[in-house]
Amino acid sequence: MSVFKTITRESIRPFAVLSGAVVTLGLVDRGSGNFLSVATAFSVLQLFSTLGLVSLALGLSLVVRGFDLSVAGMLSLAGCVAVLTGATHPWLGLAAGLALGLAAGTLQGLVMTGLRIPPLGVTLGGLLTFQGLSYVLTEGQTIAYPNYDLALILTEPIMGFLSYRSLITLGVFLIVALVMSHTRLGRDVVATGSDPEASRIAGVHTDRILIGVFALSGFLTALAGVLLSYSLAAASPVALSDVLVPAAAAAILGGVSLGGGKGKPLGIAAGVLTLCILRSGLNAIGASPFVHEFATGGVLLVVAILDAPELARRLTSWRLRASER
Amino acid sequence: MLLILTVGALATPGFISTPSLAALLTSISFIGCVAVGMTFITLSGNIMSLCLGATLSASSLIFMAGLSFGVGPALALGLGFGTLFTAAQGLLVGYLRANPIIVSIAALALLVGSADYLTGGQRIYSPGDSLVPLTGTLWGMPVEALFLLASAVIGQIILSYTRFGRHIHMVGSNLKAARAAGVSIWRTVTGSYLLAGFFTALAGILLSARYGSGDMELGVGYDYDAIASVLVGGTAIHGGEGSVTRTLLGVAVISAIQVVLLLYGFSQQMQYLMTGLIVLTVIMLHSLGERHS
Repeated sequence: MSVFKTITRESIRPFAVLSGAVVTLGLVDRGSGNFLSVATAFSVLQLFSTLGLVSLALGLSLVVRGFDLSVAGMLSLAGCVAVLTGATHPWLGLAAGLALGLAAGTLQGLVMTGLRIPPLGVTLGGLLTFQGLSYVLTEGQTIAYPNYDLALILTEPIMGFLSYRSLITLGVFLIVALVMSHTRLGRDVVATGSDPEASRIAGVHTDRILIGVFALSGFLTALAGVLLSYSLAAASPVALSDVLVPAAAAAILGGVSLGGGKGKPLGIAAGVLTLCILRSGLNAIGASPFVHEFATGGVLLVVAILDAPELARRLTSWRLRASER
Repeated sequence: MLLILTVGALATPGFISTPSLAALLTSISFIGCVAVGMTFITLSGNIMSLCLGATLSASSLIFMAGLSFGVGPALALGLGFGTLFTAAQGLLVGYLRANPIIVSIAALALLVGSADYLTGGQRIYSPGDSLVPLTGTLWGMPVEALFLLASAVIGQIILSYTRFGRHIHMVGSNLKAARAAGVSIWRTVTGSYLLAGFFTALAGILLSARYGSGDMELGVGYDYDAIASVLVGGTAIHGGEGSVTRTLLGVAVISAIQVVLLLYGFSQQMQYLMTGLIVLTVIMLHSLGERHS
């Protein structure tokens, strides 16, 4: 029982689930080398680069009791802006995309703190607006990015399983993780999420923290969008919009709770890796796409039930009823 | 706000002509039914479901597949599936207090997976023309619009005049107080989800009847359109406060704006952007209004 409790504790669970996924896939593969290969590791990390930063952004917003729906719109919008402005100077496109993400996130944070609107409402408006904006900018078309060399550089394998894109993503994760665990700022963010009222009394500028987290969320998502569009050498308003479900799933798997105050960047990274390993791993061993959907759904459902606040109470009352009989 | 919109709409040449109004009414109806359903979830304090769009699609598939047994059984199968599948999510949310958003995401993934497994991503076509009664007009109104009207009336009656409706408001506005008052939380939440599933399945059946086929793409984006209508109508996102009539108003406002933009010759892309800005504006206005009152 105590082992079970340790494994299901939020801080350890993401890594337990991750190892579970690796071991299961490894067993199914039975050493035929389809799953445990450098090629699979590379494709897992490429997927990780697309999903990781979005999931980190969403996860951080969840830590402060928000739910940044707008990440789904920002991912494609930042990509479109970067491709449109960075045709000759990639750095200019990157800067434009990142500035937009930072500005849009800050604006959303200002609106929700200034007018006291629940984050979900503001970011829903943001999601629809960003999506609309990327449709207007691209006139509903997929636009090609002429700088193919850049795409090749970004996705070229380094030591077999890494690439510049995944290195940047991993680097950002490391920086955010260090800030969250080793600075006062990180502790203030967690405090704001777990008890806003008490944190305010204790002298934390909770409004500033909220604005900062949403600004960072916009920035991280924009970075993911720009990297994705540059490495695909294309941007489209449509193709990238179904990122919200896997991003949320990964954050939740990573130990973030919707109640706020819980969740660590490294846990989120483990959550994202689990999803990516499930997807590429199942692909590598030749399973049909629906198996992946089932696996994601099943894992999420189990986590949702384990996380449910009344599970313990219901179980106890069942046990009592059973023993009375 | 409504006044400006009405004047703006009437001042637009072509708005009151019957074809565009009929087209508006029909397109409203599908989103409207889902939005009526979503209202129950939002009101009961569970924010939104990301699974209603997929439930709509799956109900349309099951309805189309069930047509080989006749229209009656197909209706029962389609409605029954949507209702029970969504009620099961409500049970998890209500009985265990599992997180509504995660449960809906998990249900979405499972549903998409099963549909993919069963249909292989194919579309299912209607076998004959037995569905004509569901797509025609009655008393000059598209049948779909009548269904929406009926759903809204039934929904509002449940909310305003039944004990269950009062319980939804209580659970949504203050869970602990509702429990202290002896309200069964899990029954109320499961009931809210059950109704949401029913109205969503209805939209799926109407939509597939209109197109003569069902597939998993039908409901894509309906979750966001529905929650946008609910919020623009003024139902509070944290639950407890709102109504089906308000949601209906929200649907009407969003759709009317889109038609006006279309008539003035704005592109489809511009409409997306305007919808987003309007949702954002209305949400901000509502919160300002709430603070003044």
